Amino acid sequence: MDSMIHVENIRKDFKKIIKEPGLKGSVKALFKPNKEIVRAVDGISFDVPKGEILGFIGPNGAGKSTMIKMLTGILTPTSGFCRINGCIPQQDRKNYVREIGVVFGQRTQLWWDLALRETYAVLKEIYQVPDEQYKKRMKFLNEVLELDSFITSPVRTLSLGQRMRADIAASLLHSPKVLFLDEPTIGLDVVVKENIRDAIMRINAEEGTTVILTTHDLSDIELLCERIVMIDKGKKVFDGAISELKRNYGDIRTMEFELLKPSDGGLLDYLSEFGDKADISFEQDKTSVKVRFDASSVSVEKIISYTLSAVHIKDFKINDVEIEEIIKKLYKSGVSA
Amino acid sequence: MRYIKLHRIFIAQYLKKLMEYKADFTLGAIGLLIAQAFQILFLGIIFSQIPSLRGWQFEQILFIYGFSLISKSLDHLFTDNLWMVGYRIVRKGEFDKYLTRPINTLYHVIAENFCVDAFGEVLSCVLLLGYSIPRLSMPFYWYTIPLWIVSAVFATLIYTSLKIMTAAISFWTKSSGHITHMLYMVNDFSKYPVSIYNRFVQTVITYILPFAFTAYYPASYFLTGENPLFCVGGTVVAGSVLFALAIFVWNKGIGAYESAGS
Repeated sequence: MDSMIHVENIRKDFKKIIKEPGLKGSVKALFKPNKEIVRAVDGISFDVPKGEILGFIGPNGAGKSTMIKMLTGILTPTSGFCRINGCIPQQDRKNYVREIGVVFGQRTQLWWDLALRETYAVLKEIYQVPDEQYKKRMKFLNEVLELDSFITSPVRTLSLGQRMRADIAASLLHSPKVLFLDEPTIGLDVVVKENIRDAIMRINAEEGTTVILTTHDLSDIELLCERIVMIDKGKKVFDGAISELKRNYGDIRTMEFELLKPSDGGLLDYLSEFGDKADISFEQDKTSVKVRFDASSVSVEKIISYTLSAVHIKDFKINDVEIEEIIKKLYKSGVSA
Repeated sequence: MRYIKLHRIFIAQYLKKLMEYKADFTLGAIGLLIAQAFQILFLGIIFSQIPSLRGWQFEQILFIYGFSLISKSLDHLFTDNLWMVGYRIVRKGEFDKYLTRPINTLYHVIAENFCVDAFGEVLSCVLLLGYSIPRLSMPFYWYTIPLWIVSAVFATLIYTSLKIMTAAISFWTKSSGHITHMLYMVNDFSKYPVSIYNRFVQTVITYILPFAFTAYYPASYFLTGENPLFCVGGTVVAGSVLFALAIFVWNKGIGAYESAGS
């Protein structure tokens, strides 16, 4: 088997102490704790070939971060194991982490009080990057992530977008074979997001870096990932290409029309026009109509032409598929992979 | 070798960070000097009231006190960040960072901070030893200086190991800073001749939390030349055993580390 990442039936339990509310509850829990086991990741297995970009998706609290933390060797699995780049992360930590890069979008690994440059100088020593290679690498990262304008500023003064680019550069300094990104685009504007996606794609294409990322942003997934693993409540519910997910679970879109005349609203009835084969639903307020439908059974064009034939509109917008929508649907139909 | 080079870099980074905030640094340095001046003054007042204690002369007591500060200040200077493990690093999930770097986690945590506050203790230590040594007639052999170094290293190891163990408790309990603090209260006993305490306290600080080996025992050997095997050998044994135990507890703790949600 020549997969870069092999995960086998991995599980992680956390012990949680259930407290009654208030100070009284806290005191009681101190003397007579009421323990409960929470299964954050429940028997997940998958393989990732070298050079693939894999997206981890799932609602908040699904177990994505726990999964990433087990893969990066931070947490020890309760049972099962993962083997990455030939190492069991928990057993051979030091050798393992030399070959991986990790970015937690919500946390920084940069030296908060010092100029960004200083962080790279320290990481160079920690990862023992030779001078020549370091120079070349910094030039490359500068070019890809545009660090030049803020590399001399103290990290605490960086904007979120700058900080995230700086963090990603830090994780790539030692040319890792596997890159783990936990919500790398959280809270960023469109331009920075694009910059970061381009950087990930370039690193992946030029160096064959295997990338695992978690995100809530569907465009990240669509632009970057060849494959996604969807987890919910600690279990794997889907594993495959994004096109397959859409094919299997529908291509849910929402369109919003802003009406020229508020009184026109009553003229529209998508249900009787398209029936319920398209899983269509709509809601309207005074000035706008919002339609939710499955684009694999009713085309966007049909929705637009029907709407235009009935009313005059001022403006409209199409929202893309939302992961939460798919997950909701997935659960409604009771499918599990 | 590599870790020594890294350590230099970490300390340099730390000093740069200190100087990044100039006002804080200046005020901190002044405050430290004032605090130390008062502490030395205070010591002077106390000891001038006690000409002797259970057969120990004034200068001998000063020597023991000064000796206790060697290991205490070394430990304080280099391993202060261990406090943060118990108070914050584990609870907030900041330990993740150390686990994703290819260097020893314990070393990394320790190296990241360099506690300049400890220079106050270094100063007190130098003053106390500098005052007492010339006034005492201590036995001196060719191996006295190597034995000093050995005792200082292993005494520091006693401090650091106990700190590592109490810090590591936080891997299970999330927070253990207060346990480390309690331990530090006990170490105050070690600054004075152990013979002034009752049997219970003596047993505790000799065999359970062997702080007596960080000061009184080795210091009494250097003062009298008696009992080297127990006094210096005991320090070496206590330091080694505790350090081995500390590494064991730390590594076990990492397996129990639960990070924090993000």
